[in-house]
Amino acid sequence: MKVLIVDDSGTMRTIQRRCLNMLGITEVAEAEDGVQALDIFERANFDIILSDWNMPNMDGLTLLKEIRQRDANIPVIMITTEAERARVVTAIQAGVSDYLIKPFTPDVLKEKMERWVTIPS
Amino acid sequence: MSTVTRQSSELTSDCVNPVLNATKSVFEAMLGCTPVRTGIALKEDTQPRYEISAVIGVTGRAVGTIALSLKASTSIEILYRLLGIRAEEINAEVCDAVGELTNIIVGSTKAKMEELQLSISIPSIITSKGHNLHYPSKVQPICIEFDSEIGPFAIEVGFASNE
Repeated sequence: MKVLIVDDSGTMRTIQRRCLNMLGITEVAEAEDGVQALDIFERANFDIILSDWNMPNMDGLTLLKEIRQRDANIPVIMITTEAERARVVTAIQAGVSDYLIKPFTPDVLKEKMERWVTIPS
Repeated sequence: MSTVTRQSSELTSDCVNPVLNATKSVFEAMLGCTPVRTGIALKEDTQPRYEISAVIGVTGRAVGTIALSLKASTSIEILYRLLGIRAEEINAEVCDAVGELTNIIVGSTKAKMEELQLSISIPSIITSKGHNLHYPSKVQPICIEFDSEIGPFAIEVGFASNE
């Protein structure tokens, strides 16, 4: 299981990495923005991507659209403060797999991920 | 008070409850403590209450600023509560933690004000003592003061119509 975390906050990346580690997932790559994420995505295979929305250089929505042009199937979960219905609809139209509002608990992250990937026990 | 300033004050007042609710729920969920509101007042000067400011600009059908104002010790405790890292002084990790906490508070606030169709900026952190936060002249900011297990803090909010 290989996961790509995309968030401009190092604090949030660490929180997510620790959640994944608690689930037994240790193969985790991190990107600070959409540009870096796309570069990493093109050079490695991932099972799932966890992406923030508001980031400098390339935001999560643009990243999502870029990823969907390259891979229609990889699960992308948006983890964001963008909780308004219009934003969620925009993300769904762009091909997001699931949506998680910050702050979140490890249990909710696990539940969202399990809809898309098999988490090793 | 002019009509424009009155409209600004009403918009700013409309933000108070969403800010209070978002602050309480984010502090409880992320830091494990419940902040208590200790005061609320119209802001007459440009100096924030404490030495660290995390500032987020808001645009949409309204424009404005929401700023979290913190003591250095409170900021350091935020990093500790989020990641278990004990910083000796204000550093990049502390600033990032404070910025992300503020981002989540402001994001939760704007979600409760959906009709204004707001977008928020990436947080900026100011760490110098005696700094000033300037709002547009027609904006009358409000300062909401809190106390908590990790120390006192304040949130400044100032909004004006963008229509």
